[in-house]
Amino acid sequence: MTHTAPAVTAARTARPTRRRTSPTGESRPVRWGRWIALTLVSLFALLPIYWMVLTSLRSPSDVFTFPPNFLPTNITFDAFQTIFADGRLLHYLGNSLLVASVTAVGSVFVGMYCAYSFSKFRYRGRRSFMFLLLVSQLFPQILLLITIYGLFSAMGLLDSYLALIISFTTFTLPLCVWMMKGIFDNIPDEIIEAAKVDGAGQGVIIHRILLPLIAPGMIAAGLFAFIRGWNDFVFALTLSGEATRTLPPGLVNTYLSEFSNRWPELMAASLVASIPVILIFLALQRYFVAGLSSGAIKG
Amino acid sequence: MVTAPPLPAPRRSASRSTPRPGSRGGLFPLLLIAPAATLLITVLIYPLVGALVDAFFESNLLYPEKTFVGFENIISAFQGQFWPLLATTLTFAIPATILPFLVGLVAALGLNQRMRGRAVLRSVLLFPWVLPGVVVSFLWLWIFDANYGVLNGVLRSAGIISENIGWLDSGPGAMTAVIVARTWASFPWMMVMLLAALQSFPGDTYEAARVDGANSWQRFRYITVPGLMPVASVVVLLEFIWNFQQFDLLYVLTGGGPAGSTTTFSLAVYETAFKGFDLGMAGALGVLWMVILLPVVLLYLRRMEADN
Repeated sequence: MTHTAPAVTAARTARPTRRRTSPTGESRPVRWGRWIALTLVSLFALLPIYWMVLTSLRSPSDVFTFPPNFLPTNITFDAFQTIFADGRLLHYLGNSLLVASVTAVGSVFVGMYCAYSFSKFRYRGRRSFMFLLLVSQLFPQILLLITIYGLFSAMGLLDSYLALIISFTTFTLPLCVWMMKGIFDNIPDEIIEAAKVDGAGQGVIIHRILLPLIAPGMIAAGLFAFIRGWNDFVFALTLSGEATRTLPPGLVNTYLSEFSNRWPELMAASLVASIPVILIFLALQRYFVAGLSSGAIKG
Repeated sequence: MVTAPPLPAPRRSASRSTPRPGSRGGLFPLLLIAPAATLLITVLIYPLVGALVDAFFESNLLYPEKTFVGFENIISAFQGQFWPLLATTLTFAIPATILPFLVGLVAALGLNQRMRGRAVLRSVLLFPWVLPGVVVSFLWLWIFDANYGVLNGVLRSAGIISENIGWLDSGPGAMTAVIVARTWASFPWMMVMLLAALQSFPGDTYEAARVDGANSWQRFRYITVPGLMPVASVVVLLEFIWNFQQFDLLYVLTGGGPAGSTTTFSLAVYETAFKGFDLGMAGALGVLWMVILLPVVLLYLRRMEADN
């Protein structure tokens, strides 16, 4: 990177005199095309979210006017009061927080040891196992759910937090392993060799020497796992009971049936379920693209 | 919502990090992968095999006994639900792969230029993709609402339609709704992947082409398009595989209806197993589903192999 910098700078300073198009070096139609495209895509992406927020802040009488009004008038927090006054939302919220957090911690630790093994050792079956991680993501999950349901039922795990945590952790493992393997690959072996020479055992090497080095990557992987656990619907729907129900199945089972057509409440509940993932995602920004290309995310 | 396998990443300095042959470590590396392996076998491999084995039995969620029936389930699935389900699944999966790709491509090309606010715009455009599938479904349920939905409102105000349309009450309308919702939720992922690929292009290629007199279109056609192909094919194949699995949107937004018009494989397998308790038939549909997807999966794996 650095060695090309002077040339780039030179090219850039030379540009304005050389080019009669735009400061960015694009011809006018291309620049207009870019702006039009970005505007349309942004409207497509953001108007629905604006509509969700706006609806959640309205009274039912304002929502049921036709044609709809796009401006934020008569703002009220009634819908939020209603859904929080109903204790179930908080209950589901607590369950989601618990399950997603334990999933995040679990996948990071299980994934870390696995990634270390993949990155720093060579043994028979290693490539096959890595391949299996890759392929496992292509299996139809609904099909897996059938036997998992039977298995957890036989083990008495249905309706338990553990059932959700075990399954979410497994589904986030491939991502966590691939992300962290990428980080371990970039840690020079010399560090490990030097520690060995100094008499450090594997436990010390992993926990005292490597762990601090990969901590940022672990946090990123953990937050992705959190989002996965937070967002999951069908496994939570099938494997949880009322006591352990997380937000997504909770919203569908309770709110969609009881609050159907009560759009301000439904949108307020949707917003409550979205805010944690949006905040986490914003915090993750700088790991994001790297994470995607080293062990991409979800669909 | 699925966790995805890695995509062709810019290769790191593999040589430096490859340990010397000495670092075999005996049983220790196996011990390290043991927890992960246990989870994968219990929650992925065993369940997959279990469901596929069920296809050859008369098996019911409510009774422990199973009777071997050979290919009976598969044949009756093949003669019954299979073809309609395949048609519905493809009607959903093909547009729901192409549209997000196109929108994502346009967004990526738009963002592939230094400009003020680009970082902010890129993260904001990703919001639809991080939202829980259930939230996405609620949101589009409201937008497509027949009586007070904003879509009907806008179309009527613009004079495009004169009466409200009950989008979710007709087969084509419901299918349109889930495809639009899916496009909305998954184009950002495509955008990020394609943008990362675009930004890995060496900048001087374009400069050289410009010097040689290539116009914008030629630079796009002969540099951008071929350069994007590896990543583009991977994201398209993955999205297609995921669309076969898509559950949340279909279940919440349309419930597979009206009259089964949006019931895809994943919904049908879910209903057969958890509402009809017929594990044998669910497994049979699963077998056929995997057979249909096999060429796509192999294509994807070959692509990955080529990149590594």
